Parts: sequence; C-alpha cells; structure tokens
Amino acid sequence: MDLALQLLFTGIGIGAVYALVALGFVLIFRATNVVNFAQGEFSMVAAYLMVVAVEAGLPYWAAFIVALLGMALLGVVFNLGVYYPLRHRTYLPVIIATIGASILLANSVLAIYGPQPQVLEGWFETPGIQVGPVYLDSQYLLIICVTICLVIFNFWFFEKTLLGKKLQATSQDKEMASLLGISVSTMIMITFIYSAVLGGLAGILVAPVLFVSIQMGSTIALKAFAATIIGGFGDVAGAIIGGLALGVIETFGAAYVSVPYKDGFAFLVLIAFLIFRPQGIFGERVAEKA
Amino acid sequence: MPLLEIRNLVVRYGEIEALRGVTCAVEEGQVVTLLGANGAGKSTTLRAISGLAKPTSGDILFDGKSIAGLGPEAIVRMGISHVPEGRRVFPGLTVKENIMLGASNRRAPTSEISREADAMFDLFPDIRKFTNALGWTLSGGQLQMVAVARGLMAKPRLLLLDEPSLGLAPVIVQAVFKIISEIRRNTTVLLVEQNARMGLSVADYGYVLETGRIVLGGKPDELWGNEAIRAAYLGGHAKVTA
Repeated sequence: MDLALQLLFTGIGIGAVYALVALGFVLIFRATNVVNFAQGEFSMVAAYLMVVAVEAGLPYWAAFIVALLGMALLGVVFNLGVYYPLRHRTYLPVIIATIGASILLANSVLAIYGPQPQVLEGWFETPGIQVGPVYLDSQYLLIICVTICLVIFNFWFFEKTLLGKKLQATSQDKEMASLLGISVSTMIMITFIYSAVLGGLAGILVAPVLFVSIQMGSTIALKAFAATIIGGFGDVAGAIIGGLALGVIETFGAAYVSVPYKDGFAFLVLIAFLIFRPQGIFGERVAEKA
Repeated sequence: MPLLEIRNLVVRYGEIEALRGVTCAVEEGQVVTLLGANGAGKSTTLRAISGLAKPTSGDILFDGKSIAGLGPEAIVRMGISHVPEGRRVFPGLTVKENIMLGASNRRAPTSEISREADAMFDLFPDIRKFTNALGWTLSGGQLQMVAVARGLMAKPRLLLLDEPSLGLAPVIVQAVFKIISEIRRNTTVLLVEQNARMGLSVADYGYVLETGRIVLGGKPDELWGNEAIRAAYLGGHAKVTA
C-alpha cells in the first residue's frame, strides 16, 4: 500500500508533464485544426535554454523567466514561419511543416550543443520531504503544484475572460469570428505563444528529473500525444486527465511488471484505446461538432 | 449619397464568375432586398461587401469610401455587420457569450458589453431563457434570433442579413420579420431573401439578381407589377401584403 501511494505520487508528477504538453497539442489543434508535431521540441528547447541560462550564471528564477520569454518568442517565430504562410492550405502541408520544424529544432540544438545529455539542477536545495509513508520529491511536488495552477489559470482564462471566449470562437468558426471583428491571426498567434510556453514549462520542470537531451522532446511528445488520444482528442479536460492517467499507468507498470518496458505501457494503453474506444475517455464533444 | 454603393462588381471563384458586374445602391435608413434564385449571386454580393470574398474588379463604396479588398475585420469596424447564411452561432459558447462577441468590432469595457447583451433580450424575448445555454442546443429559429442579436451588437450602420427565413417554420419567419421591421427604425438593412413575399414586405426597394447580374430594380409594388418577374422569381401566385 505504501509503495502504491509512492508510485501514485511519482506517476501523477510525470503525468503532469505529459498533461502540460498535451494541453499545448490540444490548444493548437483546436485553433488551427493541425497537430503540431514540434510540440515536444518546445519542451526540449526550453530545457536547453534553461541549461544555458543557468550556466551563464543567472539565478535559477531569472533563468526560468529568460527561458519562458525565449519560448514565447519561439512561439511567435514558429507561428510566422511554419503556420502563417500555409494557413490557407489544407492541413497536410502544415503538418509536414511542423515535422520539418521539429527536425530543424532538434538538429539546431545538436549542432550548437553536441549530443551529450546535460544535467539541470532542481529548483530546491532540499531533495524532498517525508509525509507518513510517502516521500515527496521536491521537484515532483513543484511539477504538480505548477500544473494545478496552470489548469486553474487555463479554466479561468478560457471560461471567464472575453479574450478566452474570442479564442474559443476562433477555434470553432474562423470566418464567423473575423466577421465579428475578432482578429483571427492575433488569436492564433496568442495560441502558439501560449502553447510554446506550456510546452516549455513542461520541459523545464521535467529536466531535473530526466536528462536534458535532444531526444527528450520526442519522448515527451509521443506520450503527450497518446495522452490526448486517451483523453479524447481536442478536449482540454481530456488532455489533462489522459496525461495524468498515462503517467500513473506507466509508473505502476514499471514497478509491478517490468522496468525495461516502462515506455511500452503508454503505447499499449494507446493501442487499447484506439481499438476499443477511439474517441477517448471524454469523446469528441457534440458542442464542437454541431 | 447612398450609404452603400456597388459599382460593376465582379467576383470570381476560380473559373466561375459568381458576380458579373453588379451595380446597386442602398440609401441610409432604407431596407433593401436582394431577390433571386439559388446561385444567382445574392450571398456572394453580401460576402463581397463584408470582405469575405475578394472582388476581382469593380468597387464597393461605404459612406463614399472604397472598402473593396479590405478584410472582414476592418470592414465590420467601419460599421457593416454581416449575419451570414446558416446563422453560424458558435456551438460551444453560450447564447450570452455569442451575443457579447458581436461587440468585438469596437472597444468597450466587458461590463458594458455584458449590459448591452442583456438589453438585447428585450428585443429578442424568446431567447432570454436560453441566456446560458450552449449554441448547439438551440433550434433554427432561436439560432436566427441569436445571430441577428449578435449582428446588432456591432452597432452597425448597415446590417447585412443573409436568408434569415431559411429553414424556419412560417410562424418563426413572421417573428423574424417583425424584428427586422423593428431594427429598421435605426439601422439600414440589406436583406437577401428567397422568400420574395416576406423579403419585399419589409423593403423600401428591391433588386432582382440573375446569374450574377442585376436584371431589375424597383420599389416593391413595381416589382410585383412586373408580370414576367413575378412568374420567374417571385412566385407568380402570391400577392404582396405590405
């Protein structure tokens, strides 16, 4: 039982990272009808930015801000360079462009930084605290707290602000949104910036737990993509629940079944969902289909 | 000077010439109805005015200034609000949110927009009880009310209404046209209708479009008086009631 609680904590921690990246997937998908295959690279680039900033001697919090600002800028550049020129085309050229961008980002980092994985220290000096039978690792605690805050922010932003409503309107019917005077290109720009920052946050938060490597982006992205399908593609709540579920499942699978097959569990679950419930836990909401 | 003037407007969709030189005008304070069969170019004319379709040639003057080639966001800010065919109410947003977004063309505090949206329900009492219902849960007639209310939130000088009666039960059509006759008190309206009798009943002036050209323009009773036009476009057996 104690072990199960411990695993649950760790699983939710890693699942929160998947959830953040999955949220980025879903927001861009809803705004542009395109899956952004470079979403995972956002996490990887942010982790490297963080490493660079810390090595340059910046205090941890300042490096954090610099890295996130860098991600916001990357979101702008990504939108203008990858999505915007192709916005009137079908989804296929855009998807291929995001794959191209992901290869470009990974290889640019490789060219600049070399293939050796980097180590990023955690935010806190204290490694963690013991609460009853469970040891709460401070980095996992941070990941969970930040994710909770972001989920609350996300809900408030999309449900309670007029800007959030304009973003939703844009994702539901771009032409109608433009007829009302909503600047569609600005809304899509905001979506890309927000998604790049979300992906970046996930990368920065998970970096001390994993190594910072070129491959970390694609690993996280694959899990996050699986999470969005498990949760129900295009659904915000589904992305978050799917991410958390995936983190918990793979942690339990690693502990009770097989450590080497840890990454396999996520995809076993994905395949099971694709066969038995392809619409995911929450399904596609009727609201978006009507 | 007319509020809206269209001069020799040509719009092409690829190879297809949807409008082949349309010329017409809308005077301030009037309701003008565009009639015509399916595919005559009625919707395309509205889409060109609101910036959704790019004119190939010709000009569109609003208040004396050319708006041809401007984007829809710029045009709605100048005071032209387009309620398109099919209502296009955002399915995942509530009725109130849909109506509030109608004010996206102007700068106003959210609290004020919210108050104005509430006031819209005085003009559309039938949808008041759906204030917090999601768009997709409403019926066609209710959606049409939401779409018109949202269009009016832009405080337009010119309201473009595309087929507001399409697919609605006769009693709902009556209700929609009753609202149009109220709107006209302070807004100029360009109305596209297949239902010629209803369309002309509220109009000061009417045009008949045929395969991308205006073939006839006149006051409603003049249009009804034209025997050939009545038979071809207006449904010959019907009589104007207004």
